[in-house]
Amino acid sequence: MSREQLSVGDLLPLLETSDLRQLDEIKGLINEHLNTDRGSMLLNGLVDYFLETNSAQAVHILSSVREPHDKHLFDKMNECMAKAPCRLPTLTLLGHVVRKQPSWIHKIARYPLLLSLLKCLKTDTDVVVLITGVLVLITLLPMIPQAGKQHLYEFFDIFGRLASWNLRNPGHVPEVYLIHLHASVYSLFHRLYGMYPCNFVSYLRSHYSMKENMDTFEEVVKPMLEHVRIHPELVTGTKDHELDPSRWKKFEIHDIVIECAKVSLDPKEASCEEGYASMPEHFCAHLQQRPADCTASPYGDFHSSYGSSSSTHFSTPRQPVVPPLALSSFSGTQPPYRSPTGTRRQNSSCEFNATYGFKDSLWSPSSQCGMATPPSSRGMSPNPEVSQSASHLPTRLYSTPGGKGTPSSSTPAAASPPPSLSDEFLPVSLPCSTASPPCKDGRPLDHTKPILVRQEPVRQELEREFEKTGPETINHRDERGENMPMTLTELSVYMKEQEQLRIEKEREDAAITEELLKLTEEKRDLAGLRGFDSPFFSTTETLTGAQEKPLPSSILGSSIRDPHNMISTPDKAEITASDRGRVSRGPSQEHPWNFRPVFMPIEHPTHSHLHRSPSAPEDEALKYSFCSPSPSKPPPLAYEALFDLALPRAASLFVGRKTSEIVQRVALERIQRGDVSKQVEEGCVEGAVSASPLEVLDRLVQQGGDAHDKVLKRLPLPSKSADWTHFGGSAPLDELHTLRSQLLLLHNQLLYERYKREQHAVRNRRLLRRIINATALEEQNNAMKDQLNLQSVDIMSLRESLQVEQQRYRQLWDDRETVVTRLHSQIRQLQQARDDYYTKNQELQSKLQECQKRIGEMEAELQKANNKVCHTGHLLNQLTAKLSSSESIQQQLSFLNKQLLLLGEAHKLCVQELHQAGPDTSKEVQMLQTSWGKETERLKQNLLLQSQKLDAAQQRVAELETQLAKKEHLIAEQKKFLEDVKAQAKGELQASESRYQAQRRVTLALQTELLQLYSRLETEDSSGTASALPAESATEPRSSPEPSVIVVDGAVKTATKEDGKSPQSPHGNGSTLSPAQPRPSKASSSPANSVNGNRDTPPPVLVEPPPHRPHSPLGPPGPLVPSDTPLTVGSYPSAKSFLGMRARELFRNKSESQCDEDEAPPPRLTGLSQGLKTELCVEPTAKSTSSSTTAQSFTLITSAKETQPDAQRAKNRDTFGSRCPERPRQQPLRIMDYNKSHQEHS
Amino acid sequence: MADDPQRNFRSAYYEKVGFRGVEEKKSLEILLKDNPLDVEKLSTFSQRFPLPSMYRIHVWKVLLGILPPHTDSHALVSRYRLEQFEDVSGALTAMRFVHASTPATELYLRMYQLESRQLPRRSELRPPVRSYGIDDEDENFLSISRAMEEIVEDPVDCYWLVRCFVNQFKIKFGDSVPHLPKSLEHFLSQEDAALLAHLKVSGALHSLPYCLWFRRCFAGCLPESSLQRVWDKVISGSCKILVFVAMEILLSYKIMLMGMNDPDGVYNFLSNMPQENTDAIVTKAIDLWHKHCGTPMHSV
Repeated sequence: MSREQLSVGDLLPLLETSDLRQLDEIKGLINEHLNTDRGSMLLNGLVDYFLETNSAQAVHILSSVREPHDKHLFDKMNECMAKAPCRLPTLTLLGHVVRKQPSWIHKIARYPLLLSLLKCLKTDTDVVVLITGVLVLITLLPMIPQAGKQHLYEFFDIFGRLASWNLRNPGHVPEVYLIHLHASVYSLFHRLYGMYPCNFVSYLRSHYSMKENMDTFEEVVKPMLEHVRIHPELVTGTKDHELDPSRWKKFEIHDIVIECAKVSLDPKEASCEEGYASMPEHFCAHLQQRPADCTASPYGDFHSSYGSSSSTHFSTPRQPVVPPLALSSFSGTQPPYRSPTGTRRQNSSCEFNATYGFKDSLWSPSSQCGMATPPSSRGMSPNPEVSQSASHLPTRLYSTPGGKGTPSSSTPAAASPPPSLSDEFLPVSLPCSTASPPCKDGRPLDHTKPILVRQEPVRQELEREFEKTGPETINHRDERGENMPMTLTELSVYMKEQEQLRIEKEREDAAITEELLKLTEEKRDLAGLRGFDSPFFSTTETLTGAQEKPLPSSILGSSIRDPHNMISTPDKAEITASDRGRVSRGPSQEHPWNFRPVFMPIEHPTHSHLHRSPSAPEDEALKYSFCSPSPSKPPPLAYEALFDLALPRAASLFVGRKTSEIVQRVALERIQRGDVSKQVEEGCVEGAVSASPLEVLDRLVQQGGDAHDKVLKRLPLPSKSADWTHFGGSAPLDELHTLRSQLLLLHNQLLYERYKREQHAVRNRRLLRRIINATALEEQNNAMKDQLNLQSVDIMSLRESLQVEQQRYRQLWDDRETVVTRLHSQIRQLQQARDDYYTKNQELQSKLQECQKRIGEMEAELQKANNKVCHTGHLLNQLTAKLSSSESIQQQLSFLNKQLLLLGEAHKLCVQELHQAGPDTSKEVQMLQTSWGKETERLKQNLLLQSQKLDAAQQRVAELETQLAKKEHLIAEQKKFLEDVKAQAKGELQASESRYQAQRRVTLALQTELLQLYSRLETEDSSGTASALPAESATEPRSSPEPSVIVVDGAVKTATKEDGKSPQSPHGNGSTLSPAQPRPSKASSSPANSVNGNRDTPPPVLVEPPPHRPHSPLGPPGPLVPSDTPLTVGSYPSAKSFLGMRARELFRNKSESQCDEDEAPPPRLTGLSQGLKTELCVEPTAKSTSSSTTAQSFTLITSAKETQPDAQRAKNRDTFGSRCPERPRQQPLRIMDYNKSHQEHS
Repeated sequence: MADDPQRNFRSAYYEKVGFRGVEEKKSLEILLKDNPLDVEKLSTFSQRFPLPSMYRIHVWKVLLGILPPHTDSHALVSRYRLEQFEDVSGALTAMRFVHASTPATELYLRMYQLESRQLPRRSELRPPVRSYGIDDEDENFLSISRAMEEIVEDPVDCYWLVRCFVNQFKIKFGDSVPHLPKSLEHFLSQEDAALLAHLKVSGALHSLPYCLWFRRCFAGCLPESSLQRVWDKVISGSCKILVFVAMEILLSYKIMLMGMNDPDGVYNFLSNMPQENTDAIVTKAIDLWHKHCGTPMHSV
């Protein structure tokens, strides 16, 4: 650890290295070490190192140490404070630390360092140490507001001591220091008054109530009090409340600083005031409200606030115009005299400005009054406030460009501030600022000469004033000085302080200044006589208002002001734009501009030295002049750049143009000025441009020193000596020492002011943020307003349309109403009509019904009538019939009458005849009559009989007819039945037919077979005869016939027997028309039987052929012949005599019998056939055997008959049916039917 | 018939279920009760419905004219038929055309020949040879009679049935039989053109056993149980049924036939076709016939 510490401690000297990188490394090492190490070794080493070398790097490191080291640091510093030689550097270090505002700085109240600091301030006699300490204390106070209360009276004591020191100068320190001291006391006063007004006032009251302190109060404190307003706390607060920690809690450090500045009437100090932003408004109000006061009030105000100095100050600007340098020496008296000229000038300038569009109207009242332009000075006071207020920040900047920049910039006037003045300020402030009016005037009037000329006068003036004016004037001076620098920047504060210092130095000239004051006051009185009404101590508002008052009061002013007002606004706009542009351009552009003031001081010395080289104030002036520029630079840099953010970008282009113009003008002016102070200017400019503000400050200080040396060298010895003698004859070395210490003080002062500026910067940033917010809100507001307008327009249009719609709606509604009513009425009418119709309809219907009824009745009547008509018609018919009958009857009657007549006549004639004829005729007639009567009777009876018979006959006919119908029906049935039966029979017949056919086929087949056999036999025979055996073949047939002959014989016998019966049959034939047939049929069936029997007995059949044999040779032998045998049989016999005859007979009989259905024929036939056969057979044979054979055959036949009688019966019937035609059968049927019907009939 | 009140009320149900013939039997009985039998009605009935086997012979006899319509004369006529049969058979026996051992069918043939006066002389008599290929009437008669012999027990009836069947067939359908192959082709083209095409291509169409089918009426081709159903239709007056039976045979054995390209093979197969499933064939054939020719209300 220790080694490291040591090693780190060794590093300390390296901090002074020029190598940035190495420096950074070392710093890093040290910081790292500090971070890790809690010991105080290194820190102590650093402090020692700083005390030895006054190293800036060490300060930097020390001021940024972290928490645990604060204690060490404070302890170490406390330790160092105890040693007198280290006190100053320690305080310097403390100042650095305090200004750095580390987070732990509030702890200082708990450490003995604070106590030692206070003690030091209370006891130390070294004025440099005191000033440094006081500045540290002032800086420290806002940081420990509540901690400071326990030391409050110590603070007050310090104040009291220093204030009295200032006056009594116990240490007999050079007066140059006293100025510094005074400034610092002034600051302390402000701080204490701002922070603890009640306590402080009570302290002041108690402290200065003592007699020994009265002079101090009169000399020192009272002027100070004149520059503060009544603190509101004095009204509302109490001592205790003041010290309440809670009061401070809501304040930040810079808030406290501003709070303190607020109560200050010192334009420099009060410049930070926010609450006075409203000043301009009051301005206007006052302008219009108090035209009468115009002349007077300004003065009063002016005096009240700044005193005559302001007036003198005002006058100064005009001095240059009025040229004389000589007059400058009487600066104090100048104002009154010059003022009119100045006013005139201003008037002219105002006019000029008016033509230019500037607000110079402010000056019109003064010109009228013929007064020096006090109001203008007054204008300054508010202006700073205004300018400092956030809203006016930009405007203040425009002023320079607004004033065309060139004039302001060119305005070499020591009051370089005008350029930085705000616009509003311009009109007011231009006049008040010594430089601005002249520049404007000068520029247009004479470009070349004025610059230098003016600069000089101003400077001289200032210096003179400084020199001549007393403390009071100094105060005023301060104020004025403050004004000017304030307008420029806060840095001008330094100037003021320097001035104060200077003033303190020049206290010797106090008498002169007092005289001057008196003079000015006299003039003021004059002015007051003219129109001085306003109270001496007017409030800030009144002050501000007063400034404006003169303007309206003057006729010209009013006339001018109007245009000015009219024009002013656009100008402002332009200006703002240009300002912004300049701001945006950045420092580079501003630098040259800002530097002008710098040159001037530099130039200044050259000229001023001529006049005042020996005087010490020159140095101060030099310094002051030197200093002024340097601070002026940073402020614009510091926060003007911020406007870029705050303001809309649209303006940037315009601003750019403006700035370029300004640059050109600046260049021009520079060239113009270049003649005089080219070299210095350039050198300074270049240096300033390249270097940082701090460096510039340092360089300036250095240059100041160099310049001082040069000046010293250049000065003629006498003058030098004079100077030295003037300062008490102190050796030049002493002088150098004082100068150095003064430089140190100045530096301290500078640092203090810088600190203040930073505080302001902080505040400004905050305010700027508010501006941004406000502008944003404003824009939002505007946008909202626009929207509102649009919406209101919309609403209006909508309302209009609504109205239109409503009207239309109303119209439509009315239309509808009318339509509806009309429709209703129509409906009503229609309903009425409908009702009418209904009623009519009902009536008509009732009528209709009535009519219908009537019609019904009528119809009924009609029907009745019709009935009647019909009835009558009928009656008529009847009547006609009756009539006709009656007519006919009448005719008959007439006819009968005629007949009667005729008869009567005839009767008469007859009677006559009778009478004539006599009685004979009568008898005859009687007889005739009787006979006739009888005859008629008989005929009648006959007729009756006949008719009865006829009836009977008719009845009989009817009966017969019914019977006939029955019969016919019966017949039909019978027919149907017959048909049925016929069909049946037909079927049966077909069957039998088929059978028959079959039989025939069989027989045919048999025959063919037979024939075949025969043919074979014959072929065999023929073959036998033909071949070697003809005999055999012949014999064989013969032999074979033999047995057959035997049989045949039998058959023949039977036939013969039957032949005997045959004669009987003819009778039977005749009688046998009757149905008794079956028996004969039996007989007749016998031949069939025989045939059948033949068939049934094949052997005989086989035997039979032989009988044919004999024929076959006779007839042509062939198969065909046998097939026809039945038919051809007969032919053979026919050829023969007897047999043929019989055969023919037989055949005929057979046919007949078949037709007649004889019993006989069949037996005959058979007999015949048999006989034939037998004959045929017998023919060749002998008749001998005939008897026996017949007997045999008969028996045979009979046996045959007996064997199958019944079976044959059916067959017979069949044959009968088949053979006979249907007719014979039907006939008996018919007969029978007839009989039947007949029987039924009968 | 349909309006007969005696008709079973379940008849509709029977028909729906498929028991055909339950009602037919009854209606047939009703028909047969008429005294003069209405031959027309009987033939129509037999065309439309299958005959119950118990009445088949009787109906056939009536339809073929063996028995007259009048039932009264049935006994007489049947006696005649018997006598005729006996006569003819006796004659043949006498002529020694036949003897006790002669098969009945030959006897029938001889009798038929005798009755139709075609009986050859004994000397020219030659034993009947079975030969299917030749369109021999004797052979046709023999095969028919063989089939009939199976159906009918009584030889007299059998003879008469064969005789009348052959006669009627000759008389009635003698003209239309030659056209039956054509109509077979026609209907086959409607039913199964592919088979027809195949038959045509293979040339088997012209060598189908037409003789067996159309001359012998499937005698010897179908078993008697199926055959009699076909003959029902033939006897009742339709020869078209033969075509459909033939077609149905072709269709039933289509697969086999499609596999055969040889006409002789086809002929042989069809000549000796398997005897099973013939009932179905016949049923289908009848359905087909009904389908193509309509339900016969009148005899064709």
